[in-house]
Amino acid sequence: MNVISIPQTFVPPAPLPWALHSTLRRLASVWSDFESQVQNTAFIRRISEGKMRRDDYLSMLLHHRQQVIDGACWITRAASNVTIEFADLRTKFIKHAATEHLDYKMLEADYVAAGGALADIISAQPNIGTEVLSSFLFHRANQPDPFDLLGAMFIIEGLGRSFAGQWAEKIEESLSLQDDQLTFYRHHAEHDQDHMAEFEEVLADILNILPDLSDRIVQTAKVTARLYLLQIEEIERA
Amino acid sequence: METVYVTALGSHLPGDPVNNKEMEAYIGSRGPEARKLGAAVLRKNGVKTRHYAIEPDGSTETTNADIAAQALKKAFAKSETDLGRLSYLATATTQGDYLVPGHGSAVHGALGTRPMEVASFQSVCASSAMAFKSAYLQLKTGEHEVAAVTASEFSSRWFRPGFYETSIASYEAYTPSFETEFLRWTLSDGGGSAVLETRPNEHGASLRVDWVDLCSYADRFDPCMYAGSVSNAGAATKPWSHYGDPVAAAEVSALQLKQDFELLYKMFPVWAGHYLDLVEAGRIDPASIDYFLPHYSAKSLGEELKRLLARTGAMIPEERWFTNLASKGNTGSASILIMLEELFRTKDLKPGQKILCFVPESGRAIISFIQFTVV
Repeated sequence: MNVISIPQTFVPPAPLPWALHSTLRRLASVWSDFESQVQNTAFIRRISEGKMRRDDYLSMLLHHRQQVIDGACWITRAASNVTIEFADLRTKFIKHAATEHLDYKMLEADYVAAGGALADIISAQPNIGTEVLSSFLFHRANQPDPFDLLGAMFIIEGLGRSFAGQWAEKIEESLSLQDDQLTFYRHHAEHDQDHMAEFEEVLADILNILPDLSDRIVQTAKVTARLYLLQIEEIERA
Repeated sequence: METVYVTALGSHLPGDPVNNKEMEAYIGSRGPEARKLGAAVLRKNGVKTRHYAIEPDGSTETTNADIAAQALKKAFAKSETDLGRLSYLATATTQGDYLVPGHGSAVHGALGTRPMEVASFQSVCASSAMAFKSAYLQLKTGEHEVAAVTASEFSSRWFRPGFYETSIASYEAYTPSFETEFLRWTLSDGGGSAVLETRPNEHGASLRVDWVDLCSYADRFDPCMYAGSVSNAGAATKPWSHYGDPVAAAEVSALQLKQDFELLYKMFPVWAGHYLDLVEAGRIDPASIDYFLPHYSAKSLGEELKRLLARTGAMIPEERWFTNLASKGNTGSASILIMLEELFRTKDLKPGQKILCFVPESGRAIISFIQFTVV
């Protein structure tokens, strides 16, 4: 007897904007979890309770520097692995990296203005959280068309958007800093808002072509969030 | 498993509606500074009228338990079943009349009905959802056939000037601040109730309970709306009962009801994240909701959150929001049942329509939802 096999569960490709909505929902959920965890680290609690000391601020800058340097590098590495069909997106990656790749100088200048020695911040061993975070991001950036790194950008830009302003305000209050001692966090508080709008546009473009990338984007966001938290925890342990 | 229905709803709002100009006569005057803060609070919370169980001189003839019992009697008066068949009562409140025993016993006593199983739920606004969930599950598992929930508050007695006075001159916690005045000018008195059964009404609409979801985020937040300690962080969290005597605790403001606003705003993204998880999991389908009852005003949602909900396809259009916070006041745990009662009484509900109730609790970050289908 011939049995004609009929696929039991044919799932049609999800039409947009479902894929975009779903991805943004899941990213928002990853973010809200991450945000709470960041707020509850001992180091960040000290900032928000206004108990931060000048040494804490210096150590925050020192531990942040390597990640800021690596940021522009993994984004350009990712750009170099974007195939020519996605040349427009490659342009965006390169431009984004170009905007931020000298930000570490701002951070170094803050460090010196706040009383640290340039030699100390330059020669410091990288925070071990930064080291794993960067290793992971470079690993993803080495894949062909590594657009899942949008998940990482969502987390890292989100920090600028949600935290940089809060931190800058609290740090200023607790330490009575002058303008030239707090340029980096202020700059990110002001500029990372625009990046989020651009992020959503790029995400929409990519999901339009590759709706199946959603899970991988969310996964990369989760790993980035976990490792970023480690970086913050390590400030305290160093 | 049984299917569970809300078959009747009741609400009890003591006295006449009190408007914004009259309200200070009831909660008492704490001076011009407090009045100025009060005006700012009223612009923020949007409440136009509310009810108080106290008289302008601070006296009262009623109790929180009475308010709950009245609300439940009104529900049973509209019900096809009878108060005599009630065998499970779950009560919710923020602060009962006594420290001991439980509010459930007090409400049962005030009802004066036959012996039954009771449960007392004490939290803040979401205590109503806790009590509701317990009643729902009691029926669902077949333990009882008729259950009731009451949620009631008598907040005004906490807001009289005497609760803010001290013999310690110039003690800063007693200077009117947004932290204390917000609640004084926002919360008022009232009770709501629901009758739940394992069968729907034969002579009118019922609300089938689809599910109840409640989650605490106390793992990541300090107390935000609190009473019983001087502050919500550090050494000042010492419980009022750890002082030498209750007077010593009162003297340093440990007995005032307070709200930490900075912390409140940090809860919004967490609540939004929980809601988006429910949408993503398919439990909430924003497009299918006919009536959204938030214990919260759309006005204070904030542009950023509205934008987040819109771009994630999760926003329920504002024309489907139903609330009576502006006319009935914010009655804490009771609000959601007072809203549901008015919706059930005044709207022409059609079978198949979906109702989603949303109760966030700032106490220490709880979020809760109840979904119904009209049958």
